[in-house]
Amino acid sequence: MTSYSAKRAKASDDFAIQTFNLTRTFNSLVAVDGIDLNIKKGELFALLGPNGAGKTTTINMLCCLLKPTSGTAQVMGYDILKQPFKIKEIIGVSPQETVISEHLNPQENLNLIGKIHGINARELKIRSRQLLETMGLSDRAKEQVRKFSGGMKRRLNIVMALIHNPKVLFLDEPTLGLDPQARRAIWDYIIQLKRGKTILLTTHYMDEVDFLADRIGIMDEGKIVALGTSTELKASMLEKHTLIIHAQNLTQRLIEEMRSRYAEVEVTNGTMEISDKKLDFEEIVNLLHAFGAIVRSASIKEPTLEDVFLHITGKELRE
Amino acid sequence: MRFWELCTRNLKETYRDPLALGFLLGFPLVFMLLFGAIFSGDNVAHYPIGVIDDDNTPRSQAFINEALAKVPMFEVSTYDDTTTALKDLKFGDLKAYIVIPSGFGQQVSQNWQGEEADIFLQMTYDESDVMVSEQLISIINAVTRSFARIEIPITINANPIHIETEITEIDFIAPGIIIFGLLIMIPTSARIMVSDKERGFLSRLLTTPTRPLDFISGYSLCLAFIAIAQIIIFIAAAWVFGMDIVGSLGLAFLIFLLVGLSSIGIGMVVASLSKSENQAEPLCWIFAMPLAMLSGCWFSIEMLPSYLRNVAYAFPFAHAIDASRAILIRGVGLEAVSNNFLFLVGWAVVIFAIGIILFRRSMRS
Repeated sequence: MTSYSAKRAKASDDFAIQTFNLTRTFNSLVAVDGIDLNIKKGELFALLGPNGAGKTTTINMLCCLLKPTSGTAQVMGYDILKQPFKIKEIIGVSPQETVISEHLNPQENLNLIGKIHGINARELKIRSRQLLETMGLSDRAKEQVRKFSGGMKRRLNIVMALIHNPKVLFLDEPTLGLDPQARRAIWDYIIQLKRGKTILLTTHYMDEVDFLADRIGIMDEGKIVALGTSTELKASMLEKHTLIIHAQNLTQRLIEEMRSRYAEVEVTNGTMEISDKKLDFEEIVNLLHAFGAIVRSASIKEPTLEDVFLHITGKELRE
Repeated sequence: MRFWELCTRNLKETYRDPLALGFLLGFPLVFMLLFGAIFSGDNVAHYPIGVIDDDNTPRSQAFINEALAKVPMFEVSTYDDTTTALKDLKFGDLKAYIVIPSGFGQQVSQNWQGEEADIFLQMTYDESDVMVSEQLISIINAVTRSFARIEIPITINANPIHIETEITEIDFIAPGIIIFGLLIMIPTSARIMVSDKERGFLSRLLTTPTRPLDFISGYSLCLAFIAIAQIIIFIAAAWVFGMDIVGSLGLAFLIFLLVGLSSIGIGMVVASLSKSENQAEPLCWIFAMPLAMLSGCWFSIEMLPSYLRNVAYAFPFAHAIDASRAILIRGVGLEAVSNNFLFLVGWAVVIFAIGIILFRRSMRS
């Protein structure tokens, strides 16, 4: 087994974030259990997992908010234990809860974070104007944010993490609780951000991960249980294929015949799902016709990240 | 200057929140208005007081005629013996009578000449009338102290008008209400800090290069500004209601500011120990209300049992009330209240230090 110091020696310039056996416990609960992650510069990496999987604890340690119980991590080459303030200068964090000053307007909220990061007034003005416009908040830049809708506050929550142009961006559940339209708007914006910045995003929405992430780490009970691109993770499921058939007149005799030929056959309300390592599409259709079934549609079921998660952990990702 | 950015943000969050602002200024102002309306104007209560002068010296005469008789709410009558006075007290014609013992004039003279001498007065009153008797004791105490401590030597007879005697109820009550207003800084300070902690604002800013000391300075400075604004408003309101300002307003202001800083310090300690506003608010009130009562914000603490008075004097508020009354009513200087002043400075420094240590600790994970 590679020693801890040897692992740390592998720290590379190619990576924006590296964790080394990063562990955090709260009393007897192991929230993050010795994870080793390498996130490349410019990559959008998503941590996918159910509530309580350890995603936010991981982010909190990387943002130097929480000290690890053991192990460590580096962000842009700076150690979270030894150089926390170096890291805080170059990161932007959009927390899971919407955290803004309610009695300040968006401009004032941005000024606060910008000035804390030492940005001069001129640059601050230009950047905040750009960001508020992109996020569709410029019309109400002078209005106290307590009057804003949840979606608008959420967008401001993200913009506040960007005002100082950070090299590494942490987005903790950026679209939590938003309606589909607002979620889509934030996704589009994150896509724009992908150029040039390293982004670590946590979510429990699979469609979000599918749409945004370059690479995915599936997290469960404090561990990274699977790692790869969306395609790679789904491909790991392709050892089994599923065909879904919508048809009329699915007789008992036909179902028994199918079950004798294929590993799994399930029938509910005129829908037959046939799964096996190998499926012969033509043979199935011919059989259906031969037994008098009237086929309305037939399609191959693509595996989802939900299937991947279920397959790996034996649990369902609750949305 | 990160602390300055935080300070301005905290100020905006406070003055733009009508509820917070209303509570901060409105609550003590309502008390001030109430007491002002009760004790200012012509509707002052009149208390018939009897005096038996066993000393019968020019000083005891001056005390009766120039000090006691000039208290607006007193109607002073002199008696030759205690038997008649006691009879009138029992019939309700008198609220109390005072016996000036022989030697009083000499004791006063000694005080005037800078030698400390205890002053003895004997007062008999109807103890069933608690509120009245308590007020009487406070006022007679204040009048006597003011009379005896005046720093004019024997020439007093030539210029007795210098004796500060026009002590009205509003003079007596206003410093207490101002201190009460500043006591409310305890829940206010705690609420501002805990709500930022609870809503994650503190955590969010801890992911920026903000240092813990920036937070503490940002909050303290903002709260100190609020305390200054409060002091100005309360003094102005008390003045409108007829509070006389005999001594140095600057010195009184300094005393009030030290009280404000002590309250902020206590608020910081509570904020460090609380996880949510729901925890902090009751904790503060449990602390602040008995303290207001014990310290004499609303009535004199002369009547309190000695152990409760000792508790009151362990905190800065009773000291501040004594000192600010002495400055505002009797016009004494810093040297006369130096003990109270040093106690207040010490308290403010120590509680602030504890607050900073605890708050820093509560920010670490």
